[in-house]
Amino acid sequence: MYELFEHTADLGLRVRAADLETVFAEAALGLFSMIIDNPESIRPLEERSLELSGDDREYLFFDWLRALLSLFESEHWLLAKSEVRLGPAGLTARLWGEPFDPARHLPAHEVKAITYHELTVKPTADGWLAEAIVDI
Amino acid sequence: MTKAAYKGPLEQVDPCCYRIPRHYRSDMRVDGLIFANEALIEAIRSDQAPEQVANVATLPGIQVASLAMPDIHWGYGFCIGGVCATDPNEGGVISPGGVGYDINCGVRLVKTNLFLNDVKPHLRELIKNLFNTIPAGVGRGGAYKYNAQETRKIMADGVKFVIDRGLGVPADLEHTEALGRIDGADPSQVSDHAVTRGAEQCGTLGSGNHFLEVQVVDSIFDPTVAKAFGLELHQVCVMIHSGSRGLGYQVCDDALAQFRSVPGRYGIQLPDRQLACAPVDSPEGKKYIAAMRAAANFGFTNRQLLMQQARDVFANTFGRSWQQLGMELLYDVAHNIAKLEEHVIDGKKKKVWVHRKGATRAFPAGHPEVPEAFRQVGQPVIIPGDMGRASWVLVGSAGSMAKTFGTTCHGAGRAMSRTAAKADAAGRRIDKELEARGVIAMASSRLGLAEEQPKAYKNVDDVVNVVHEADLSRKVARLRPIGVIKG
Repeated sequence: MYELFEHTADLGLRVRAADLETVFAEAALGLFSMIIDNPESIRPLEERSLELSGDDREYLFFDWLRALLSLFESEHWLLAKSEVRLGPAGLTARLWGEPFDPARHLPAHEVKAITYHELTVKPTADGWLAEAIVDI
Repeated sequence: MTKAAYKGPLEQVDPCCYRIPRHYRSDMRVDGLIFANEALIEAIRSDQAPEQVANVATLPGIQVASLAMPDIHWGYGFCIGGVCATDPNEGGVISPGGVGYDINCGVRLVKTNLFLNDVKPHLRELIKNLFNTIPAGVGRGGAYKYNAQETRKIMADGVKFVIDRGLGVPADLEHTEALGRIDGADPSQVSDHAVTRGAEQCGTLGSGNHFLEVQVVDSIFDPTVAKAFGLELHQVCVMIHSGSRGLGYQVCDDALAQFRSVPGRYGIQLPDRQLACAPVDSPEGKKYIAAMRAAANFGFTNRQLLMQQARDVFANTFGRSWQQLGMELLYDVAHNIAKLEEHVIDGKKKKVWVHRKGATRAFPAGHPEVPEAFRQVGQPVIIPGDMGRASWVLVGSAGSMAKTFGTTCHGAGRAMSRTAAKADAAGRRIDKELEARGVIAMASSRLGLAEEQPKAYKNVDDVVNVVHEADLSRKVARLRPIGVIKG
């Protein structure tokens, strides 16, 4: 339900799902598949929670990816899966993952920032589509 | 999102310049001017980069024209290769997208007194030593671990902070743009998160298109200037391309988040939210400028430490001190930056904010900011190419002051997306292909070489030909890589 797409110098993430909460959860997996070459090796050993406020859907999607990237940058923590609850004022999420282990996790790209370039979250005929481009 | 081609006007002004006329869109305040020739313009038309040039032409206070260099490609808000100048006295704005995420990404060239035949017998050992010493790639921390306080000092003082600790010499400062420290930096405007990202990264190469290359001077085009610069045929040099690492990225990221609602507050309407900006003299504008300058100082210092590590590796490999090896810095230039500079516009001297996003300053002979050693000839301009072909040293020329606010190109520009380059590299050993061409390449990630393979880039010679013909900067020497380390 997520795929990576072309952009001249960087990488794009595209997610389609029937509901918006699944879009957010899938986008999280997509982000970590850009960072780690073998994301299936990330184990859901530790649980964390995350809360974000915001009423603009696209900015909330952006802030979600940004918060997850920040977890990796500051704590080298990798996400295995998440459960997202969206509300009118923002989101709450449960996250499962583990610390980066160079013996098991193969680095793919250094994702340096989530960009606003072509940032999209929109309804489609069969659900939702979200896109974001990340700076490598 | 598929790349849609640009369908708007591109009128040829001269063999090296195309105009997007102001009347193309009602919100454009000035024309767009793209420096390119016929050979390059078709590829330039194939994505939305020209539309981005038109978008920048809508910014308040923009002077003369929205400009783009021949290595133009699609970016965030501003295209890569985008240049503009805004006048604070006319409500001019500062735009983080006009600087880029990697604040003060830039490049420096270090000379040696070694020649190709001196280095060839030791090349593999040299590249291995460089690869093992210089931190590159994801998650690889640096040898220099600064705490938050020291990182803030680096942002305030720039390169001098490490020179005072024996990691370089005063001459290195003279040969760095802005003497390695931009005035008006305020580290207190930089978030703790940015400081945390930067603290262990000063003196690390990074990944993506950053590199350290051992190069050899392949051709001399201007013997007089080459002599002034201390460049000779077959001389070995070291080129370092890197920026302000995670710190600069975070400063830009923080600013873009803060700027979400700022343009509206000042009545600024934007065709693209990634052009988020604030009047230079607003509190938001001043805060970003102070933080951007701080991040820029971190970038200069990062390249200084990378150079110092390279100097140490050469010393260990060749058994002589780096001073005995003549490893002097030729020059260090920024190519993602915004600077307050004086330029003559319509016959009047004005202080304007020049945004260079993937574009390099190129001041001509006589300009007071050109180091004394080169003032007679002009500022060295370092142009990194791709790892298979060539890089260039140019010299700033009078045409840049007349046409582009003292600016020239910055590199080759990508021709192929990362996904396409990776797919193209499948089943191939890029390192072996490069070795067959006489280049020893070592990368810390499998993807590093695939996505950065020479084919992924335009030919830098084509880009340099345009800036030479347009007299923005003139060719001095062409260098080819013999060794590359990448993240």
